[in-house]
Amino acid sequence: MNRVALTHRRLAVSMGLSGLVAFAGGAGMEPLSATLAGSALLLALFWHPTPGLSSRLEKLWGPLAVLLVLRALAWVFLLDGDVVMPVVDLLLLLLSAESLRSLDANNDVRIYALSFALLLAATAYRPGLLFALAFVAFVIAASLALPLGLLRRGAARFGAAEPGLDRALLGSSARLATVTLTVAAIVFLAFPRVSRGWSGRGETMATSVAGFADQISLGGHGSRIHSNPEIVLRVEFPDGVPDNLYSLHWRGRSYDRFDGVRWTRSEGVRPSTAPVEWYRERWGGGLLRQRIYGAPLDARVLFAVHPMVGVDADSRIQPMFDNVGDFFYWGRAAPLYTAESIVRPPPPDSLRATRGGYMPDRTRYLQLPRLPDRITELADSLTRDYDNDYDKVVAVERWLRTTFSYTRELPRTAGEASLDHFLFERKAGHCEYFSSAMVVLLRAAGIYARNVNGFLGGRWNDFGRYLAVTQNEAHSWVEVWFPNYGWVTFDPTPGGSIDGTAEAEWLWPGRIFLDGLQHRWSKWVLDYSAADQVGMLDRFGSLFERDEDPAPTPGDPDAALPSGLTLLLLGGATLVALLFVRGLRGGRAAGPEGAAYLRMLAVARRAGVVGDDEITPLHLVERIGSEAPEAGPSAARLVDLYLRARFGRHPLDRDETRELREALARVRRSLG
Amino acid sequence: MSRVDRLRSTLPWSGRRIRFTSAGTLFVVGALAVGFAAINTGNNLLYLLLGGMLGATGVSGWLSERAIRGVEVSRRIPRGIPVGQEAAIRYAVHNARGAAALGLEIREGGLPGVAFVPRVTPGDTVPARSVNTFVRRGVYPLETVTLVTSFPFGFFRRERDLALPGELVIWPRTDRQVAPPRAGAGRRVSQGAAPSRAAGPRGEFKGLRDYRDGDDARDIHWRSSARRTAPVIREYDRDASDTLWICLDLAADPGEVAEEAVEIAAGLAARATASGRRHALVAGDDVIGPAAGRGHLERVLECLARVDFAPGAAAPAPPVAPDACVLVGTRARPGPWADVRLAGRGGA
Repeated sequence: MNRVALTHRRLAVSMGLSGLVAFAGGAGMEPLSATLAGSALLLALFWHPTPGLSSRLEKLWGPLAVLLVLRALAWVFLLDGDVVMPVVDLLLLLLSAESLRSLDANNDVRIYALSFALLLAATAYRPGLLFALAFVAFVIAASLALPLGLLRRGAARFGAAEPGLDRALLGSSARLATVTLTVAAIVFLAFPRVSRGWSGRGETMATSVAGFADQISLGGHGSRIHSNPEIVLRVEFPDGVPDNLYSLHWRGRSYDRFDGVRWTRSEGVRPSTAPVEWYRERWGGGLLRQRIYGAPLDARVLFAVHPMVGVDADSRIQPMFDNVGDFFYWGRAAPLYTAESIVRPPPPDSLRATRGGYMPDRTRYLQLPRLPDRITELADSLTRDYDNDYDKVVAVERWLRTTFSYTRELPRTAGEASLDHFLFERKAGHCEYFSSAMVVLLRAAGIYARNVNGFLGGRWNDFGRYLAVTQNEAHSWVEVWFPNYGWVTFDPTPGGSIDGTAEAEWLWPGRIFLDGLQHRWSKWVLDYSAADQVGMLDRFGSLFERDEDPAPTPGDPDAALPSGLTLLLLGGATLVALLFVRGLRGGRAAGPEGAAYLRMLAVARRAGVVGDDEITPLHLVERIGSEAPEAGPSAARLVDLYLRARFGRHPLDRDETRELREALARVRRSLG
Repeated sequence: MSRVDRLRSTLPWSGRRIRFTSAGTLFVVGALAVGFAAINTGNNLLYLLLGGMLGATGVSGWLSERAIRGVEVSRRIPRGIPVGQEAAIRYAVHNARGAAALGLEIREGGLPGVAFVPRVTPGDTVPARSVNTFVRRGVYPLETVTLVTSFPFGFFRRERDLALPGELVIWPRTDRQVAPPRAGAGRRVSQGAAPSRAAGPRGEFKGLRDYRDGDDARDIHWRSSARRTAPVIREYDRDASDTLWICLDLAADPGEVAEEAVEIAAGLAARATASGRRHALVAGDDVIGPAAGRGHLERVLECLARVDFAPGAAAPAPPVAPDACVLVGTRARPGPWADVRLAGRGGA
């Protein structure tokens, strides 16, 4: 078997596998086509059909391709489906067919092209880190496969011997891959971003998150949120990590209407949110800035700590408030935005003292379903001792937190799923029961309240310096209206709502590390923007400024990463420059002897032994010998080797090259 | 060479060219399309791919330059190449650089044959050969050898010219069927006394001379060769009356008929050589004196490879009487020629 042909085919197939992995890492695949194509490519690594079998197999590919084309047409025109997937299926079939041909087939260029097409198709999605790995693997495989293919074709065409894989080719390929990847990184970082951001085909990866649809049912919510570690939010804190990190409520949607079982959002609600100025001026504490990287979700909800008083999103999404103050967006991209929220709620005394003022919509926020009398009586008994709404709210909240227990066990029957059963019989439930109970009790007591969904807590990723919030942290709580202050958050669910199983999943350190990498990939590659570019240029410029600005703190992720990227950029540019300079100098000096002679000349000039004038080699030896007699013989030997190699057409052998280097080192030591 | 040309020849890229291959053109157009798509969509991964493609293009140009820089080529040409036969031009490719030279093609201007060397490691010299077939006799001057590489991706053809003067001498074909010369040719009536000394089967010993290519190894004088440390040949003065003089008349328009005349002359010489007979050639001012053997035939063929026809050329003037000569040409010449072979009239 021809080993070189076999190696070449394996390299080409590796490019195909890289393309497949890149695509699968982004768009996901139909399991059938992914499995078949993956199996065919893996098979092609180890097995090659004979020419006879190959020609019989080729008869199979044509009809299959026709079937796939027909399927694609039906998919696109009859089912109105996405055109990318059928095209990719066709690509995979062709790639498998080419990979499984006999080694005699001269089809490497087709395999390269099909593999590249897969890689290109993968960019249409938001691929994860797998894409990065596949891209690097693709470049490495291509850097070896393409030159080897070229040499093989040349040898076959001109009747020369088949080339093998040797150090020369491996070295060239390594340089090729290094420079290609470095230039790719530099172009990526430096190419001006002038267009709108990229939305990608995020919808194909969109995750359906429990509790953020237009309606949620009391009994069904917990089942969907149970033990789902998929990350929905990654939150960075540009101004420093707050102390109460794990008690931050990442507010999503509010629900005003409760029918005893389901919470829904009413249509046509009058504006029922507080002006931003109320929150800015009347609440306590400063601003908390949150840089939030959301996963693409079905529900176009933007999560942030309540009350959110400012938002800055890049142009890929269009954030907006609705009438009730919930935070939404237009656009199909994964949301990326910076939210500003007020850190602390208003002081209790202020809330106690509030009287009168604007009330949003009585029919919405005091709405109650038909309730058993004992619930109304319970509400009355819990609140009648207090003369202000704030104390009543706190009393209900405290009662629920202390009297009831948290469980993710779902009720077994419809009767057990009711609020009445929760309050008087079961006395245990998940957050949706607690928040619903509190809203109902408050409304029964005449207090404007609503149910709110979002996430509570999360896991701090120290590697990536961000808070990762998974679906496990989905949560419900309550907002109560206080005139002149707006909606204030209360959470009646007892502590421990983040249960042990979710925690255990997070404790796996590899997951934390990988997610940190994934986050950096998203942040610095997928979402890399003109603003990032400007920021990096600023930081690059500041490297050369000696101003009085304090240096960025080492722990600040925003400070560390761009400077890391700047270093990468500088390092890459230096590497490329060095490789080029090495090539150029090698060319001028025409071999090691020329380079060594020039270096000795430079050393002699630095040491003041000779001036900058032109000098002949023998004269140089003479001068070195008179200045530093111990260096004379070495200089003479070096020049002798140089003259013989350069003008006598006597190439240096390995020993002479070593001798040359040693002579140069001795001259350096003597003159230095 | 003008001053500007002299200056230009000292530049590092002198004698170098770079050309896109069709694959390279396609790749660059593809890179432009990816770049356009990247700008249009803001898709960062397309920027990454664009960077990779630009990197591959740039590094391809750089490595191809490295692949041919510092490579030296020497050439070995066969002494004479018969028309219609495959002939190998051999090269020695030396890499004087510190990096390997990869994927080298060696081309000669105007010749279809290409030599290919997959790699030359630093300091190494490897052989290569190109094979050509020539359809017409003559002298092909060689001026430059062009080193070409498409390494590493085949996107560019990087070319570098190396001045390497030389020439290829293409002998006329000798396999044209020619009738034996008429009985009189080369059978001159003896004049005066018989040769003073008796001659052996190889003729009368005349003296010693340096060995020339094609001489019969049986004639080497070993003792003298050992003394001189170079081969020395015994020369015999054979019977002059047995020599076939071939007189090629160069008065003709260059073309097929004239070439046929050359081939007739070559055929007569080859026939004489095959039968061990001495022969001589007169072509314009060139005279190849009488001798026999393969070496002599090659000298005759070399002379025939170089002759030029002109309508006004003078008639052949052999140093012997015309009745000892065969006249070969495209038209009759007056004189008592022993035989006349006219090309284009079935003169072979």
